Amino acid sequence: MEKINAELFTLTYGSTVRQLLIDNEENVDAVNVQLDKMGYNIGIRLVDEFLAKSSGARCRDFKEAAEMIAKHGLKMFLGVTASVSNWNADNTECSLIMDDNPMVDFVELPEQYSNLSYCNMLCGVFRGALEMVNMRVECWYVRDLLRGDDVFEMRLKLLEVTAESYNDED
Amino acid sequence: MIVCAAVVGPSYNPLHLQTFALDDDPLKYHYIVHCALDVIDERLSPPSPRSRGAGGNDPCLGYLYSTEDFKVYGYVSNTHVKFLLVLDDPETKDVRELFHRFHSAYIDAVSNPFQLPGHSITSRSFEARLRALASS
Amino acid sequence: MAPRREVAESCLEFLYIELVQSYERKDAECAEKGDGRASRAALESIGFQVGQQLAERYTIDRARFADHLEVIKFICKEFWSEIFRKQVDHLKTNRHRALFVLQDDRFRWLRHLSLPAEQTSNTEAVAKYLVFPCGLIKGALSSFGVNCEVTAEISEDARKPTQCSFEVRIK
Repeated sequence: MEKINAELFTLTYGSTVRQLLIDNEENVDAVNVQLDKMGYNIGIRLVDEFLAKSSGARCRDFKEAAEMIAKHGLKMFLGVTASVSNWNADNTECSLIMDDNPMVDFVELPEQYSNLSYCNMLCGVFRGALEMVNMRVECWYVRDLLRGDDVFEMRLKLLEVTAESYNDED
Repeated sequence: MIVCAAVVGPSYNPLHLQTFALDDDPLKYHYIVHCALDVIDERLSPPSPRSRGAGGNDPCLGYLYSTEDFKVYGYVSNTHVKFLLVLDDPETKDVRELFHRFHSAYIDAVSNPFQLPGHSITSRSFEARLRALASS
Repeated sequence: MAPRREVAESCLEFLYIELVQSYERKDAECAEKGDGRASRAALESIGFQVGQQLAERYTIDRARFADHLEVIKFICKEFWSEIFRKQVDHLKTNRHRALFVLQDDRFRWLRHLSLPAEQTSNTEAVAKYLVFPCGLIKGALSSFGVNCEVTAEISEDARKPTQCSFEVRIK
């Protein structure tokens, strides 16, 4: 995996968020939705690269998928890891906890954007990527470093496991 | 020690002024900053094209001038941002390292996507880094 | 100083491709069928801000530039290497130094685009991906006090799909 200095990516992401706020006339909720949507589109493309570079790692269930994202996916792309915790009883919901994320280097959220989920794109990425391995999920932040919490906590909820569709034409 | 740090934009727009001595009135430094900018202007003009040597294009201008109580130092970045430090030490000091840290803090502050270019800097971490600089 | 943090280069690629495509979709959805000017302006503006920020970051402790030519040379070498991971291959200057053409024979940000086979439509499809880098360059130059317009063209030579030239016109 080729690496670059994080700042070029970090600044581009920040400038994107700022531009989306302008495009949406400062409507923070609309920007949260837009970030998630963009992330989803990225997720469905990125999963191929992830599977190709992680030497055929497969995850059989949601639990393994969550671990895979936390330990390998985040590491491979953003150079950080998360811990997986707070599972519900039937293993369909968990939290990814991150104490660091290069996306928020330099960022200080102004008060008027206190409802902005600055890293919401990441939720979309998880949603898109997991959908490509037949898991439909919901993802949202419950704790956010930029909004005064001491860590990022993302909640990941499995909605359904879709049937595997084999496309062997190519 | 450093008693005041100021950042002035390319078109002489004030971006930041912070004082470090207790009960200090920032107003009294405005005049000092103003005079320092005049000295900087003088140093930089005429824009001697290709006049290398003698540190002609060194961003660190160093010592600029003194008042009764203070010595004022300056640094100009490639983006024409002026950095000023006011010190109360009677002897002239090597301030290169101080300005490097000052400029680094500024670079991170303007990397905040919500910091609008040309607007005064409102960043808690920038202020904290300058406080650390002043007490170092 | 803290060690510089790294991320996968593909993070940037995915983000940048999605940015271009999301503005493309927005244009398509637009009821009045705008000419895409607003989207181009938005993409350029995203690049512009990043270019300004990087200009400050990449020149810390560097001797101040003596003139425009020195700034342009910095863009061709250090700036290009940091962002596009190689230097500009050819720099052309006109006599009055109001126009600079920076040619990159293998522009890195085009290498992963999968494009339709039709050569004619390619040029237009690729052009959209050059708006953001144009903004980056313009933002950096403006920070150094060089007011200019930056436009880009791709090579018409089908054998050189990632060759492109950036034209810097000083105002």
